[in-house]
Amino acid sequence: MKEHLNQTAGVRIPDDGLPFDRREFLRLAGFTFAGAAVAGCDTARVEKAIPYLVKPEEITPGKATWYASTCAGCSAGCGILIKNRDGRPVKLEGNPEHPVSRGGLCAVGQAQVLGLYDSKRLKQPVMNGSPSDWQTLDRLILDRLKTVRTSGKAIRFLSTTVTSPTESSVIRKFLSMFGGNHVLYDPISQSAILEAHALTHGMRILPHYRFDLAEVILGVEADFLGTWLSPVEFTAAYSSGRTLEGNPPRCSHHVQIESRYSLTGTRADKRHPIMPSERVPLLMELVSLVEQKRGKTSAAGLGQAKPFLAEIAGKLWSARGKSIVVCGSNDVDSQLLTNRVNELLGNYGSTLDLQSPSYHCQSDERELQTLIEELRRGKVGALFLDGVNPVYDLPGGDDWKELLSNVTLVVRFVERIDESAQYAHFVCPKPHPLSSWSDAETVAGTISVTQPAIAPLENSRPLVESLSIWMGKTVSSLELMKEEWKTTIFPRQKTEKNFAVFWNQSVHDGFAVVAPRAHRPSRLLSSSDRKFSPSVTNDGGFQLVLYPKISMHDGRHAQNAWLQELPDPVTKIAWDNYAILSPEAAKGLGVESGDVVRLVSSDSAEPVHVEVPVWIQSGQADQVIALALGYGRKGTDRFTAIGPRWIEGRSSVGPDGLVGVNAAPLLQWKDGRLCYERGGIQIEKTGRRHALACTQTYHSLDTPPLLGQGTGDRRHFVQYASLASYTENPSAGSGPHHSSQSMWPEQHQYKGAHWGMMIDLNACTGCAACVVGCQAENNIPVVGKDEVLRNREMHWLRIDRYFMQNEDNLDVAQQPMLCQHCDNAPCETVCPVLATVHSEEGLNQQVYNRCVGTRYCANNCPYKIRRFNWFDYPRNDTKENMVLNPDVTVRSRGVMEKCSFCVQRIQEAKIAAKAEGRQVSDGAIQTACQQSCPAHAIVFGDMNDRASRIAKLIENPRSHNVLTELETRPSVGYMTMVRNRPEQSGDSSHG
Amino acid sequence: MADGISVLRSPLILGNKTATQVTEDVCGLLDRGPGREWWYALAVSATMLTMGVVAVVYQLLTGIGTWGLNNTVGWAFDITNFVFWIGIGHAGTLISAILFLFRQRWRTSVNRSAEAMTIFAVICAGIFPIIHMGRPWLAFWVIPYPNFRGPLWINFRSPLVWDMFAIGTYFTISLVFWFVGLVPDFATLRDRAVSKFRKSVYGFLSLGWDGSNRTWLRYETVYLLLAGLATPLVVSVHTIVSWDFATSVIPGWHTTIFPPYFVAGAVFSGFAMVLTLMIIARRVLHFEEYITLHHIESMSKIIIATGGIVAMAYMTELFVAFYSGNEFERFAFVNRMLGPYGWAYWIMVGCNIVTPQLLWFRRIRRNIALVFVLSILINIGMWFERFVIITISLSRDYLPASWDFYTPSLVEVATLIGSFGLFLTLFLLFIRFLPMIAIGEVKGVLSYGRKKSDDAAPPGTAHTIRVTVGSPGGPQ
Repeated sequence: MKEHLNQTAGVRIPDDGLPFDRREFLRLAGFTFAGAAVAGCDTARVEKAIPYLVKPEEITPGKATWYASTCAGCSAGCGILIKNRDGRPVKLEGNPEHPVSRGGLCAVGQAQVLGLYDSKRLKQPVMNGSPSDWQTLDRLILDRLKTVRTSGKAIRFLSTTVTSPTESSVIRKFLSMFGGNHVLYDPISQSAILEAHALTHGMRILPHYRFDLAEVILGVEADFLGTWLSPVEFTAAYSSGRTLEGNPPRCSHHVQIESRYSLTGTRADKRHPIMPSERVPLLMELVSLVEQKRGKTSAAGLGQAKPFLAEIAGKLWSARGKSIVVCGSNDVDSQLLTNRVNELLGNYGSTLDLQSPSYHCQSDERELQTLIEELRRGKVGALFLDGVNPVYDLPGGDDWKELLSNVTLVVRFVERIDESAQYAHFVCPKPHPLSSWSDAETVAGTISVTQPAIAPLENSRPLVESLSIWMGKTVSSLELMKEEWKTTIFPRQKTEKNFAVFWNQSVHDGFAVVAPRAHRPSRLLSSSDRKFSPSVTNDGGFQLVLYPKISMHDGRHAQNAWLQELPDPVTKIAWDNYAILSPEAAKGLGVESGDVVRLVSSDSAEPVHVEVPVWIQSGQADQVIALALGYGRKGTDRFTAIGPRWIEGRSSVGPDGLVGVNAAPLLQWKDGRLCYERGGIQIEKTGRRHALACTQTYHSLDTPPLLGQGTGDRRHFVQYASLASYTENPSAGSGPHHSSQSMWPEQHQYKGAHWGMMIDLNACTGCAACVVGCQAENNIPVVGKDEVLRNREMHWLRIDRYFMQNEDNLDVAQQPMLCQHCDNAPCETVCPVLATVHSEEGLNQQVYNRCVGTRYCANNCPYKIRRFNWFDYPRNDTKENMVLNPDVTVRSRGVMEKCSFCVQRIQEAKIAAKAEGRQVSDGAIQTACQQSCPAHAIVFGDMNDRASRIAKLIENPRSHNVLTELETRPSVGYMTMVRNRPEQSGDSSHG
Repeated sequence: MADGISVLRSPLILGNKTATQVTEDVCGLLDRGPGREWWYALAVSATMLTMGVVAVVYQLLTGIGTWGLNNTVGWAFDITNFVFWIGIGHAGTLISAILFLFRQRWRTSVNRSAEAMTIFAVICAGIFPIIHMGRPWLAFWVIPYPNFRGPLWINFRSPLVWDMFAIGTYFTISLVFWFVGLVPDFATLRDRAVSKFRKSVYGFLSLGWDGSNRTWLRYETVYLLLAGLATPLVVSVHTIVSWDFATSVIPGWHTTIFPPYFVAGAVFSGFAMVLTLMIIARRVLHFEEYITLHHIESMSKIIIATGGIVAMAYMTELFVAFYSGNEFERFAFVNRMLGPYGWAYWIMVGCNIVTPQLLWFRRIRRNIALVFVLSILINIGMWFERFVIITISLSRDYLPASWDFYTPSLVEVATLIGSFGLFLTLFLLFIRFLPMIAIGEVKGVLSYGRKKSDDAAPPGTAHTIRVTVGSPGGPQ
């Protein structure tokens, strides 16, 4: 009990015993009941657990403290602020001062805090499958290392991209001491970009892409707003290039050429679906077109001429030096051609920065292949596995059991037992990034700091500490990091002379800006003599595209329930992966959405097959199948019992007990790289069905033709316009105008503040960061796949996604939909018990403990944003319950809930303002969704304050409300989406 | 009206009954005890009731999620059943109050059981608004009772509050009306009772009835007053129920014609249910001479009339949707007819518009088997009418992204079956323990349509005959 008390409070209590005050004692005493269930966590024993008698200066019970840190959800390294309440992190937010991420935080980042309190985390070191302790483990590992060294076998350290300077330096030291190589690979690899730059610029380097500087953007298979490299940074940059400010309005032109419908594709001004086999010919054509513009005679065009390419080439050329071409394919030929185009356009040095490049991806799968070969030949004596999960994420992962059996020492650093850990001799638990020290340099010159906000909740040890101990030095990760900073990072800056000050400032800010390490890329080497060939040959069969889903990445987030339940921004499906087929292809095969098919690869000697359900969606070529990686992870069987249990309730996992299906067996090795495309796929029907939990049943905005108002009409609640018509008329795209005259006196006066929100549809990408941000802030339960299938997901904020056929483009509109806090709220009048009422400041408030659950309010809500607690959603995991925001009530069964405009944040700001005797300043209140938005599409504020941002935005001609004709007078407004197109026919006002 | 001598009128009660025979026919049934068929019927309905009870208990313990509802469709089977049962409850009061005031004397044979039906249907209906709540144990919060919660009060703007008052009033008045009508018959039963227990129970219920002129006079006055009070309720209850929908903003709900439309529909379905039950009861309990073809015909005619209003309402709705030019309104009705639930709409149209038209034919009206089938079809059609209005409108309202489907769960189906079980069980208990035909009232119409010489009773109003009934001397 004592140690639980300690951990729950997140404060290590030294032996000399700090005194505590009486309040703290009572509070902690209350906590012990919750903490009592935190079984099996045995960190260092605490001799004395005496509550605070004297309050530590920086801790006020009930008041949040914030720590700057770095997100470890992917390799992008976005800056975060950790909100700590009473010693435990409860919410992550983007760090607005961070130079790379600029304040946003994606869905994955928002969900990281849940993993901290995961009771399935490894609680102590494991040796040959049974629990052990660090002393034994250290001794045995050193023994075996000695054996390995004497045997002359190789030592290898296999990890994913290491962005941490401290970590990579410790690994380097470790390997130089014991003699060995560091092999890096990313399961979602971009090594072709490095490879191509090695060929064209003489350096394995990843440019820093500057979408903010680009006026014309061509994305080729690069989902840079969703999953590619650093989506938060790119989203912020992208939207800053499309603000529509000034005259002419600032708006980049974005063309996306891709084989599957990505999140980035949904935002494109023009989108062209292609097959993977068409990409290289297209890029070659593009190169020759640009070369023509440049006056050079081009090599004979090998590719098929696509009429749209000339237009793209023209646009790119006219914006040369201010354009950007990015390619997301892990194919060297495509990347070489991309580099060539960018070079011809003079984009290097402006939109592609090689002086301070990115370090997001350092993958080199050639070395990995060498390692596999070495393993096969029994040459490796010791293998350290960190981050990567080769048994799961590589093709032929099953062979690794045999490969690893030849190795004397396999050490796995991991947070949970996974596929690879089960074959390791020693498993070293790593602390959660929120409870450990680290750093990250993802873009040269910007070094982010990760600091712990809580003591580790399990008997874990950071990687760097383990390596140091095995090198014979017992040092803490903090000391290691300080050492590294003092020696390598501090000298890279000139402004601060005192290291302690520099260090404190960096930890406080969460980052340090220093000079980038010198990179001297050489001039473009000619690659014109190279013979380009498509990565996939078109043999008339299906071509498979394997892609990372926004929530799962390479599968590392598979155990995060928030992310599993997050609907994919394009398909709107939660809890599964699926083979996406075009409607034509599905018709040809005679399959429907939900039919399980077998994908068989016929191009290799050993046919690989994977059985997945089909999802039918327009927007991709008829020969293309798109399938997400990262599913079918070991450990997802934990979700079998998630959600309510009742007679008709079904499990969230598939027939094999896992969520989704692992698609990694379909990956291919090609030219020493992982290839995420594959031709010659055959589809066989299995006759089985697997329900897919899609949160939308209807996907079109088109008015049904039978309504007799002509075809091609659109419902007008999503407003959009072309840039041409917007330039002509800033209110272009607005729907039918409804005058608001009433014979009744005003119901509400709003003498003080009148809170309102504005969502810029032109900035919003639909990335769903807000959805998870809201879930984390407002204690929204996870309900499980079956409940999502029954359309009972609890997300207060949903993103409505509509498809619209506009001439040759299948457009997508994304519209975040949340409680509109109507002035004339239909829900308020119908509640028999006054459980939903209007506040003086315009909030539509739900009184949970007054609600009897008639659901009349939800029925009468035209926006259908109310959420009902159909069951008592399980909150049995008391450790996981520590993630709950103490400021927000956990709702019980049978009550209605919905967006509250983060009323707890409003209250907090008002109290702070009142204590200081001033008005609440504009921008002091940020709702959770607004805070997390990487595109800064959401603005919240007081509409009564004439000087506020929101009041100004309401005056903007693009501002509008949804369903104005109902005279509900929502407090949530939207701003028309503008696509950079010349034609005016695509405006919503015409429909 | 003449003294019932007219050759133009056929008698309301066949078989040349004397007052004694009437008492024997009705009370004898209660004395003899139930037959085998009654036990079978009770077994079936009690089983249905048990299913319902199990379902409801399970739902109360587990959560309303055991129903098929979702974020989009917050009401479906529950409120459909509620409106359906409330509608069923309309015939009773209409027969006992409105037809009484209009001096429709044929009502005497069926009014007692129709009133009983009303009570039972309202009981069935009243269960649904309570169990459909997320937290039914707090259902009393809908009642404006004095409390110490400060400003916390009910929302008088909410149609659900109006519902609570409307149904509460309706149930109370119906119950009182029914009971008052039963008092003279209780006295008859008391006087015939052999066992002491029955005597004391019926004696208590008969409120000291002594059959004197004064008693009769007061009884008549109270009955008339209650009939006057109950009459507006026939209109008000379903009007208010329809406001649940009419005052909302959902296309397909937000319709001003709902009050008359709902009332007509309620009477329509109520009479269909009365027909269904009466046709069974007259056959099984051998009341063919009391509930005659004449009754069945009369009720069929009411069905034609109200069915016509309902059909008119359907067409008005369609026209207004078309004429409004409102895209959501239009869509709601196109979707109703051709959307994923189109089959439900066409069942409704087939049962509620086509079926009653057959009743224009006298031969069909007089074919009891056919009328029975038609009445059941109308019941089905009226259930679907409510389903169409409630569920289809909700499932696709404004934003297509929030559209969804609804499929009932097993628990909901069992609850619906259970409500029929409850209704039938109560009805079976009623015919076992209470006089199913209003003895006193029927005696008053014995002479109707008969030659004066056949009638032993003195001429006069129907009521004067009753003086002899239940007099202290025991049954005649």
